[in-house]
Amino acid sequence: MQTKKTISGTFLKWLFLIVAVAFAVSMVFSWTLQTRLSKKSAYNLLRLNIADVRQDVIDASDANLLALTRDIAGEIDGGAATDEAGLAALMERHDVSEINLINAEGIITVTTHADFLNYDMRSGKQSAEFLGLLDGTEQWHVQSYQPTSYDATLLRKYAGVCLTKGGFVEVAYDAERFQRDIDHQIVGVTRNRHVGENGCIIIADVNWNIVSDRNRNEGKNLDVTGIWIDRPTMPENTVFTAEVYGETCSCMYTFSEGYYIVAVLPENEILLQRDTSVRLTAALEVLVFLSLFAVIFLLVRKLVVNNIRSVNNSLSKITDGDLDEQVNVRSNTEFASLSDDINETVSTLKQYIAAAAARIDRELAFAKNIQQSALPSVFPPYPDRKDLNLFATMDTAKEVGGDFYDFYFLEDNKLALLVADVSGKGIPAAMFMMTGKTVLRDYAERGDAPAVAAFNANNKLCEGNDAEMFITAWMGYLETDTGLVRFVNAGHNPPVLIRDGRAEFITQKADLTLAAMDGVPYREQTLQLMPGDLLFLYTDGVTEAANASEELFGNNRLREALSKRFGSGEAAVRAVCGTVKEAVGAFAGDTPQADDITMLCLYYAGNNTLAVAAKTDELPTVTGFVNRALEGLGCPETAAAQLDIAVEEIFANIANYAYGSEPGDVTIRVRSEDSAAVIEFRDRGVAFNPLEKPDPDVSLPAEKREIGGLGIFMVKKSMDDVTYQRDNDENVLTIRKNFTK
Amino acid sequence: MTIQKNLQGSTLTIAPEGRLDTITSPQFESELRADMNTVTDLILDLANLTYISSAGLRVILSAQKVMSKKGTMVLRNVRPEIMEIFEITGFSSFLTIE
Repeated sequence: MQTKKTISGTFLKWLFLIVAVAFAVSMVFSWTLQTRLSKKSAYNLLRLNIADVRQDVIDASDANLLALTRDIAGEIDGGAATDEAGLAALMERHDVSEINLINAEGIITVTTHADFLNYDMRSGKQSAEFLGLLDGTEQWHVQSYQPTSYDATLLRKYAGVCLTKGGFVEVAYDAERFQRDIDHQIVGVTRNRHVGENGCIIIADVNWNIVSDRNRNEGKNLDVTGIWIDRPTMPENTVFTAEVYGETCSCMYTFSEGYYIVAVLPENEILLQRDTSVRLTAALEVLVFLSLFAVIFLLVRKLVVNNIRSVNNSLSKITDGDLDEQVNVRSNTEFASLSDDINETVSTLKQYIAAAAARIDRELAFAKNIQQSALPSVFPPYPDRKDLNLFATMDTAKEVGGDFYDFYFLEDNKLALLVADVSGKGIPAAMFMMTGKTVLRDYAERGDAPAVAAFNANNKLCEGNDAEMFITAWMGYLETDTGLVRFVNAGHNPPVLIRDGRAEFITQKADLTLAAMDGVPYREQTLQLMPGDLLFLYTDGVTEAANASEELFGNNRLREALSKRFGSGEAAVRAVCGTVKEAVGAFAGDTPQADDITMLCLYYAGNNTLAVAAKTDELPTVTGFVNRALEGLGCPETAAAQLDIAVEEIFANIANYAYGSEPGDVTIRVRSEDSAAVIEFRDRGVAFNPLEKPDPDVSLPAEKREIGGLGIFMVKKSMDDVTYQRDNDENVLTIRKNFTK
Repeated sequence: MTIQKNLQGSTLTIAPEGRLDTITSPQFESELRADMNTVTDLILDLANLTYISSAGLRVILSAQKVMSKKGTMVLRNVRPEIMEIFEITGFSSFLTIE
C-alpha cells in the first residue's frame, strides 16, 4: 500500500527544498561577489603599496638631490666660483653629475655639460617645468628621473633652487649617480613593510637583483623568491600569480626609477577575507531561512493543517452517521467557504436520505401489505364450520418478516395447517418465505401427504438456494371428521396441545429444516385431537422473546400461560393468542422485539366422530370422547349417563365379536338431532345385527338367569331408539336418546 | 376403580367405588372370588358406585348365584341411577337391596 503524505510533510519538504536552493544560489552569488570584491580590494592594496613604495623611493631621492642642490646654491650665493671650473669643482665635491646656472631669462649661462650652454629652458617640456623658479611662484623644484628635453636618449634627474642674485642653479644626477643614490635609499627600505598582514614588497633592480626583501635575500636574483618578471609580456600594474616562497600569491609590479617594485599578497589572505564574509553571510542566511521556515511552517499549520484536521474530524463524524454534525471552521475565507459547502452538501444529502428512507418505508409498507395479504387474515376464516375455529397473528420485528402461517382445506374434511420461520429477517427472508409457502401449498394441494410434501418442497427449495437460507416448519393435515392430525416437523418448535385446561408440548422428534439439504427424508407423525382440544402453533419469536436481563421467555412460561381453560370456539382461539401475546409482552417489558412473533391456534370442536381400534382397552377413549361430545351438544346428565352405558355395551359388543381375532376399527359419531343425542357405530366386521337376539327374561330368578344378552337389552331399554343396518359392508348401529326425559 | 374389603369371620363387606364396567369388572370379580369359599354373608356396599354396565351386572349375578346356595347376599346404599339399572334388568326382583 502506498503511504499517504501529510500536507505539512509535503509542504515542509518543498519548503526545505526551495530554501536550500535559495541558500545555495545566494551562497554562490555571495561567494562570487566576495571573491571579486576581495580580489579587487587586494589588488588595490597591492597597487597602493607599490605606489607608496615608489613614492617613498622618489621622495627619498628628491630630498637627497634637493639637499645637495641647496648646498650648492648656498655655496654659489656665498661666493663660490661660478665659472666652468668652479662648477666642475662643486660637481666633483658634491658628487653630482651636472650643474647648470640659468639666468633670469631662462638661458643656461654656465654648465658642466658643454652641449647645454645657452640652452633656453623654454624650449622643452621637461626643462620648462623649472620656469616657475624665475617668476617667483617656486623657490625650488625637483623632477623625477626622466629623458631631457634636449636629448630624449639622455636621462637625468634634476633639481633647481633659486639664487639670490637672480636665476637658479640646476643640479642633476645621471643614470649611474641616480642609481647610487636610489640604491642607497632603497636597500632594505621594504624590509619592515607589509602588504596587508602577510604580504610584502620586494624590490629588484633592472637586472632582477633583489635590493629589498623581507627575507633578506638582497643581492640574490629575483628567482629565489619564485617571482619571474618579463616586462614585454607582463604589463605593469596588473595582477599575476606566482609561488612566492612556496606560497601561492597574487603579485603586481611596477617599474619605476629603474627598479621593479613587486607587491606580493598571499592568496590565502585575500580569500580569508572572502571566506570570512561568506561564512558570516551563510550564518546570517541560515538564521534568516530558519526563521522563515519556522514562521511559514507555523502559519501553514495554523491556517491549513489545523483547519483541515478540524474539517476531517467533522467529516468522520458525518461518515459515522451523525448527519447533524456541522463543519465550522471560520478562521479564514477559504475554510469558511469550504465549511459552508460541506454543510450544504450534508444537508442536501440528508434530504436525499430522508427521501430515500421514505421511499424505502413506503416500499416496505407495500411489501408488508403483500406479505400480509398472502397470509389468510380474515377471522373467523370458516364461519360456517362448526367443527373447528382458527385464529392466527403475525407481528414482524421489521416491516417484513420471515415467519409465515397458512391454512387451507385440501378436501372438505382435511385442513392443512402450517407455521414456519425463515432464517433471517427483512426482505430476503420475506421473499424466501413467499417461495416456501407457495411450494409447500403446491405439493399439499397436489395431494402429497405432509411428509411427502415436505420432502418434495425441501428438494425444490434446495435448488438454487444460494443465499443459504432455511425454513423451520410444522405442517399438519387435520382430518376434521376424526380429529386425527398427520404432521411433519421440519426443525420447528413443538406445538402445544391444550386439553382439559392442561397444556403439553407435542414433543416428537423433529426432522431437518427445509432447504438445508436436499434428499433428506421426513417422517409423518400423528396426533389425535379430541373435541374441545386447542392446538397452539407458534414460532421461536415467542419462546425466544428476551427481557432486559436477556432471559428467554422459554417453554415453561409458555406452558404455564396456556395451562388454563380457554372455553370453546372463536373466543378460545383468540384468547389463546391474546394470552400468549400478553404474557410475552409482560415478560419482555421495554426490550424491543427481536424476532417475528407468529401464532396460530386451532380449536377442534370436531364433528364428534371418533375412529378407534375395536379393542376393549380403548373403552376409556370411547367413553371420554362421547362424554365430551355430549357435553358439547348440551346433553342433560341423566341422558348422558344412560348413553354412557349404552355406548359401553355396544362398543364392548363390537370389540368382542366383530372382528374375531383380526384387528379392526370402529367409528363412532355423535350428533344432536331434534333435541336428541344420536350416536352411530360403524364397523367393518362380520355382518351382525345384535337387535335380532331375543331379549332375556327379566322376570326369572337369579338361578335361571343367563349371563349374555343383558347389554343389548339394557341399550334397548334405556334408549329411545336403536336401529341396525348393513351399509356398504359396514355394520351401522344407531342409538337415539332424547334430551328431555 | 378402588375396592374396599372388610372380612369379619364369615361376613365380607365389599365396597366398589366408581365405575363397574367392561374394564374394571374382572378386577372386582377376582376380589370377590378370593374370599367366596369362606364367606357365608356377603354385603355389597354400593354407596360410591356410580356406574354399572352389563359386565358389572354379570359379576353381581354370578355372586348372587353362589351366595344363594351357601348364605346371604345383601346390597346396601344403592344409588338411584344404579337402582334404575337393577329395575330395568329385573335384577331388583332377586337381589336383596336394603
